[in-house]
Amino acid sequence: MTQLSEAPADLQEGLDRAFNPRTVAVVGDKRAMGYLWLNCMKTFNGNVYSVQLDPNEIPGIEAIGVPNYKSLLDVPDEIDYVVCAVPRPVAPRIIADCIEKKVGSVMLFTSGFAETETEDGIAVQEQITHMAREGGLLLIGPNCMGIYNRRLGVRHSTDQPAGDPGNVGFISQSGTHCINFSLVGALRGVKCSKTVSFGNAVVLDAPDYIEYLANDPETEVIAMYVEGPKDGRRFFDILRRTARRKPVVVWKGGVTAAGSRAVYSHTASLATEPAIWDAAMRQAGVVQTESLDETIDAVNALTSCKPGTGVRMGLIAMTGGQSVVITDAFERAGLEVPLLSPGSYDKLSSFFNIIGGSYRNPLDAGGTVGMGFAPGNLQKLLDILEEDENVDAIAMEVGASFIARRLRENPALLDQMVETLASHKDRSAKPFLAVAHPGHVEDVMADIRARLIARGIAVFGGFQSGAQALRRAIDYWRSRRDLD
Amino acid sequence: MSVAEVIDNARRQGRTLLTEVESKQVLHEAGIPVAFAVLAADAKAAVQAAENTGFPVVMKVVSRDVAHKSDFGGVRLGLESKEQVAQAFDEIVAAVNAAQPDARIEGVAVQKMAPPGTEVIVGMSKDAQFGPVMMFGLGGVFVEVLKDVAFRIVPLEPKDARDMVREIKGFAVLEGDRGQPAADVSALESLILRVSEFIETHPEVEELDLNPVFAYADGVLAVDARIVLSDKQSAGSVDTRSARSS
Repeated sequence: MTQLSEAPADLQEGLDRAFNPRTVAVVGDKRAMGYLWLNCMKTFNGNVYSVQLDPNEIPGIEAIGVPNYKSLLDVPDEIDYVVCAVPRPVAPRIIADCIEKKVGSVMLFTSGFAETETEDGIAVQEQITHMAREGGLLLIGPNCMGIYNRRLGVRHSTDQPAGDPGNVGFISQSGTHCINFSLVGALRGVKCSKTVSFGNAVVLDAPDYIEYLANDPETEVIAMYVEGPKDGRRFFDILRRTARRKPVVVWKGGVTAAGSRAVYSHTASLATEPAIWDAAMRQAGVVQTESLDETIDAVNALTSCKPGTGVRMGLIAMTGGQSVVITDAFERAGLEVPLLSPGSYDKLSSFFNIIGGSYRNPLDAGGTVGMGFAPGNLQKLLDILEEDENVDAIAMEVGASFIARRLRENPALLDQMVETLASHKDRSAKPFLAVAHPGHVEDVMADIRARLIARGIAVFGGFQSGAQALRRAIDYWRSRRDLD
Repeated sequence: MSVAEVIDNARRQGRTLLTEVESKQVLHEAGIPVAFAVLAADAKAAVQAAENTGFPVVMKVVSRDVAHKSDFGGVRLGLESKEQVAQAFDEIVAAVNAAQPDARIEGVAVQKMAPPGTEVIVGMSKDAQFGPVMMFGLGGVFVEVLKDVAFRIVPLEPKDARDMVREIKGFAVLEGDRGQPAADVSALESLILRVSEFIETHPEVEELDLNPVFAYADGVLAVDARIVLSDKQSAGSVDTRSARSS
């Protein structure tokens, strides 16, 4: 047996094989779980094998069309990635088989280890950790959901999209947050490249995965959910190095005093004062968020908006009331809403409909752009803001609630607006975002959002969330700029 | 004495707290501007020290047993003459003896009274997760009441020192407020970076306080300093009990 090399290069090579498997074996999948893991691998183009002893389970597995073996050692192929879902007492035997079979890596979905804070759980965890280290086995987890690779279709939820590439990596102790990020993110235009839920992290810890994603060319932005890193120093160092190369978003659970007590009893992580955690994250140059929504929004602003460091907004809203509120939201987020340059006012005065509208900035433009559906005028407004030297970034309200019914009757109107916005975004060097509030005709709004997102436009559900997300992205690009 | 000698000396005596005189020696060697203090064992030595450094002077008791020197007459400011210095020496010793009869008094530190500047605090303590963390704030109520402080993990880079100084709400005070001259912020940043370097190269330093540092229109000066060493040579290992996910 070869001991697990702790040399960073070897670990990273091992992780590359785990994240990009050509063969996968699922050990211990069963009907009671709806054959979760085998169904997850339906999108995977490589070879998939099942290992299951129980004669009651085998017919169901074979019905899925996956060859089943009674032992991992019987599988007539090299295995890159093993999903292990056996009950805890069986786990050490499967680990032994993985070592003997020289598999690339194993993900232990199995739980009931140290997280139970029982003597048995801790003892078995120590046993498998020791076995993995001694046997040179890359162990992910235990008590986790393992890897998702969108492009290859290696999934840990049957709802996850597959087949096309993504550009956002996500890591998380928690499986829930990992899966939710990929699913809700997909809905909002955030495409995951690779994600991993790593549970109790006995062999590989957060910094190992961060380092892998930092070097992964497919991954442009890295986001993560952390409660408390085991080695804060190493975590800080890897964040600081990585954030200089690509944006990193850190969503910390257990930030409040009560929350940090919960983390302590949850993960036995040493408590750090929130003020010091905050300072460490600022210093590392990462973006900080406090919820799944904020994390997805920040990542969205980092991937879908052009990188910009200027804080002066050009704002377009559809009504007077929304003009006021959009302005407050962006100012409160620490961005500015300046007057436009005289040249812009000259151009605006030639066609802007000031009956029920105004154009100082924000542009209260409902009448001028026909609620977004006079594409010629919408194009003119966007061009003026694009050329204005007082404007660094542009945000627009897509206030389609009013005209939802009109849209249903004439979907071509929507096509034109989407085309106008998308072509603007593609040509413009300035960050651009759209806000599409939930409406009373939510199916129409959902359709609008989906169409904008499909064209790569950053769309947010509210002015505040959009403003905050853009602010976070701008802060990141500024922090990168200030390093030089 | 070199840094190593000062530290060895303290360890031999079973101390983790360096005296003010020792702390300043160590910091001076690290290139940190300090208001030098001379340890005087008796009144005569104190007068000599005062004459060498120039009046007015500040005198403070030096004792490993006294944590808060100013609480019971252990500190005297603005002493203008030989007579005042000699008298202050006796008074300080008497006051400390009265308040804490078992305190071992090594003598009295004499230093030139620094001209007043904007008071700031630079400190370091160790965080269980991140190791040495530096703290910066304005002196007085800003730190104590308003908790207006900035933290950074050691080692700091120039950008960190810049950000740290500007992060506190009281930064406007340093920029020169209400007719006050602006403080030498770049000297402050370089002091912070030197302290960071010092801590990085001396992991045996467990705690450090420069309180106050006077920030002037031109330059900065650490007026008081305190260094605590770790009680062990090696750092304790971190608890690596496993995490649990949800």
